[in-house]
Amino acid sequence: MIRLLRAEWTKLRTVPRWMATLAAAVLLTILVAVASAAASASSSAGGGGGGGPSTPPTFEDAGHFVHRTLAGDGGLVAHVAAQADSQQSAKAGIMIRAGAERDTAYAAVFVTPDHGVRLQSGHGAIDIAGSASGASRWLRLDRDGTTVTGYESANGRDWSRVGSARLGGLTGSAELGLFVASPNAVKVQRQFGGENIDEMPTIGEATFDNLRADPAADGPWQDTDRSIVPEHSRFTEAGGTVTLAGSGDVGPLSQYGPDLTRMTLAGVLLGLMAVVALAVLFVTSEYKRGVIHLTFAANPARVRVLAAKALVLGAATFAAGLVASFGAFLAGSAIAAPNGFSTPSLADGTVLRAVVGTAALLAVVAVFSLAVATILRRSAAAITVVLLLLLVPYILATGLPLGVAAWVTRLTPAAGFAIQDTVRRYDTAITPWAGFGVLCAYAAVALGVAAWRLRRRDA
Amino acid sequence: MRTLHAEWTKLRTLRGNAWLTLAVAGGTIAASVAAAATVNTANCPSPAECFEDTAKLSLAGVWLGQVAVVLLAAALVGGEYGCGLIRATLAAQPRRHTVLATKAAVLSATVAVAGTLGVLGALLAGRILLPGNGFNAANGYPPVSVTDPATLRAAAGSVIYLVLVGLLALGVATLVRSSAGALTAVMALLFVAPLLVRLVTDPDWRDRLEPLAPMTAGLAIQATRDLERLPIAPWAGLGVLAAWSVAALVTGGVAFAARDQ
Repeated sequence: MIRLLRAEWTKLRTVPRWMATLAAAVLLTILVAVASAAASASSSAGGGGGGGPSTPPTFEDAGHFVHRTLAGDGGLVAHVAAQADSQQSAKAGIMIRAGAERDTAYAAVFVTPDHGVRLQSGHGAIDIAGSASGASRWLRLDRDGTTVTGYESANGRDWSRVGSARLGGLTGSAELGLFVASPNAVKVQRQFGGENIDEMPTIGEATFDNLRADPAADGPWQDTDRSIVPEHSRFTEAGGTVTLAGSGDVGPLSQYGPDLTRMTLAGVLLGLMAVVALAVLFVTSEYKRGVIHLTFAANPARVRVLAAKALVLGAATFAAGLVASFGAFLAGSAIAAPNGFSTPSLADGTVLRAVVGTAALLAVVAVFSLAVATILRRSAAAITVVLLLLLVPYILATGLPLGVAAWVTRLTPAAGFAIQDTVRRYDTAITPWAGFGVLCAYAAVALGVAAWRLRRRDA
Repeated sequence: MRTLHAEWTKLRTLRGNAWLTLAVAGGTIAASVAAAATVNTANCPSPAECFEDTAKLSLAGVWLGQVAVVLLAAALVGGEYGCGLIRATLAAQPRRHTVLATKAAVLSATVAVAGTLGVLGALLAGRILLPGNGFNAANGYPPVSVTDPATLRAAAGSVIYLVLVGLLALGVATLVRSSAGALTAVMALLFVAPLLVRLVTDPDWRDRLEPLAPMTAGLAIQATRDLERLPIAPWAGLGVLAAWSVAALVTGGVAFAARDQ
C-alpha cells in the first residue's frame, strides 16, 4: 500500500499542470477574499463617521425599559395584566441590567403570547421556559449578588420558580424595572422574480399593575427607550398601573445579519472548480493515455489503486485547502479589520470549524469528483456532473421559491457548503455537520459504485 | 466549402455530439418546466403584486441548456486535441483561421437550431403550466406568447445568447486545447462570476461589476417587464456577452495560429 501511495503521489506531483492547478485553486480563493474585503473596506471608509473599530453586538438590545436603580440585593413583583399579541414571542415582564447602556448584561423574566413564561439572560445562552401561561400573570425577579432568580404565579401568593441566572457583570448597583419587547414580524415575500425576506417592526404593548419593589422604591422611573420605531413607544403611569409600548427585541441576534466568516471563505467556490477539474483529470488522463493499463498491471488489486488515488488526492487537496482557507480568512480579516468591520476570530470554535471545514470540503469534493470520473471515465462528463451538482442550488436560490431551493440544497452535494456557516440564518437549509455529512455520503456512494465498476469492467 | 462540409461531418457523426445537441433543447425545456411548475403566487402580497416576469420565468431553462452548449463547443475543439485528430484536420486545411471560423459557423448553426427548439418548448411549457400557478389573465398575467414583441425579443435573444455562449466556449477551448480545462473555465466565468460579484458590499462597485459578468449581462435579454430594474439594458447586455465571445475567439484564434498545433 505504501508503494502504491508513493506511486500515486509521484503521478500527481510530477505533472506541472496539475500542481499549477492546485496552486491556482489556493491563489484564487485568497484573491477573492482580498478583493471582496478591499471592496468592502473602501465602502466603509467612504461612509465616514464612527470612531475606532466597533465590537459586534452580541445580542439584540432594543425594546422599551423603565427602571429604578437598585443599590444592592432586592427584587420586584409585578402583575402583567394584559399583553398585546403583537408577535408570537413578544415580551413583557421584569428585567434587571448591570446598567442602562446598550449591551450590558441582563436577565429578565417575562410572558409571551405563544411561548409561555420565560427567563432569559445574556447572549441568549440562558433561556428557561416556565409555565405555558401568557398574560395575565404575576412575575417576580429577585437579585442576590450576581444571581438573579425569576418566579411566576397565577394569583400573586403561590409562587413557583422559573429558574435563575448568574450574571458576571452584575456587581454594585443595577437597574431593575419593567420592559416590553417585540421582535420584528418576518414575512417571505416573492416579487420581481425573486423571493426575499421582509421584516416589519411590531409594536409590543403591555399593562402592569400591583408593582411591589423590595426594598420599597418610590422615585420616578427612568425611561430607557431603544425601540426601533420610537414614535410608537409609550409610557404612562396612573394609579399604580403602568402601560408600556415599545418595539424591537431583547434576546439572541436575529437571523438576518451577514455571515462574515462565510463571506471571507466564499472564494473557495473558484478554488473548488479548479480542484474538481484536477481530480477528474487525475483519473481520466490515465484512461486516455493508457497509463491505466500499466497501473493495473503493476497492481492488479484495482480497488486498492482507487483507494490510494483517493487518499493521495484527498490529502493533497486538504493540505492545499488549509493554506487556501486560512490564507483567505486571515487576508480577508486583516484588510477589513482597520476599517471598522468587526472580524470573527479563529479562537471561536465555530469560526475554526468553518475554516478547517472549508479545507475538508475541498478534499471531499475532490474525492467525490475522482469517484465520478472513475465511473464515467470521461473528463467532460464528470466535470459537468460534479459542477452542476455543486452549483445548482446557488443558481436556483436566486429565482425559485425559498422552500424549493432549501430542499435542493439539502439533497445535493452542495449541502456540504453548510460547513462554512457560522451564523444561523433564515435561509440556512441544513446544519453544518449534517450538510457535510450529505456531501460525504455522496462521496462514499460514488466511491462504492466506482470500486464496483472498476472490478467488473475491463480497463 | 470543403472545410465546412468536413466540420459538419465531424460534428454530425459523433454520437456524443448528437446527444449534446439534443441536451441543448432538452435541458432548456426540462429546467423551464421545473421552474414554471414550482413558482407560484403563494408568497406574494397578492397575485398581481408578484410582478413576475412570466416570459423570463418560462425561459429560465436556458441556464441549463447553456451547459450543454459549453460541452458541445468544448468537445468540438478539445475532443480533436484529445485524440490527435487535430493533426489530420490541420493537414487537410492548413489555414488555421479558416478551421476556427468554420468550426464557429457549424457550432453556431447547430446551437441556433437546437436553441430555437428549446426556447420554443420552454415558452410553450410556461404557457401551459404558469396559468395553473396563479399567473393567469385574471391576475394580470397574459399567457406567454411569441407574438408579444417583448417576449419575441426575449426568445430570439435567448437563442442568440446560447450561440454567443457557444462561441465563448469555442474560443476558450481553442486557447486551452482541452475540453476539461475549457469546460471548467467557462463554467466558472458563467456561474461563479455573478456569485462573486454579489459578495462585493460596496453598492457602487457592485453596480459597476454586475453588468460585466457574461451570464448576468447576457440574460438581461430575457426580461420583458421592469426593465429599469435590470443591471444593464437587454441588448447592451447581449453586447457585453458578445464582447466576451469575440475576445475569447480572437485570443483563441491568435494562439491557434501562432502555436505549433
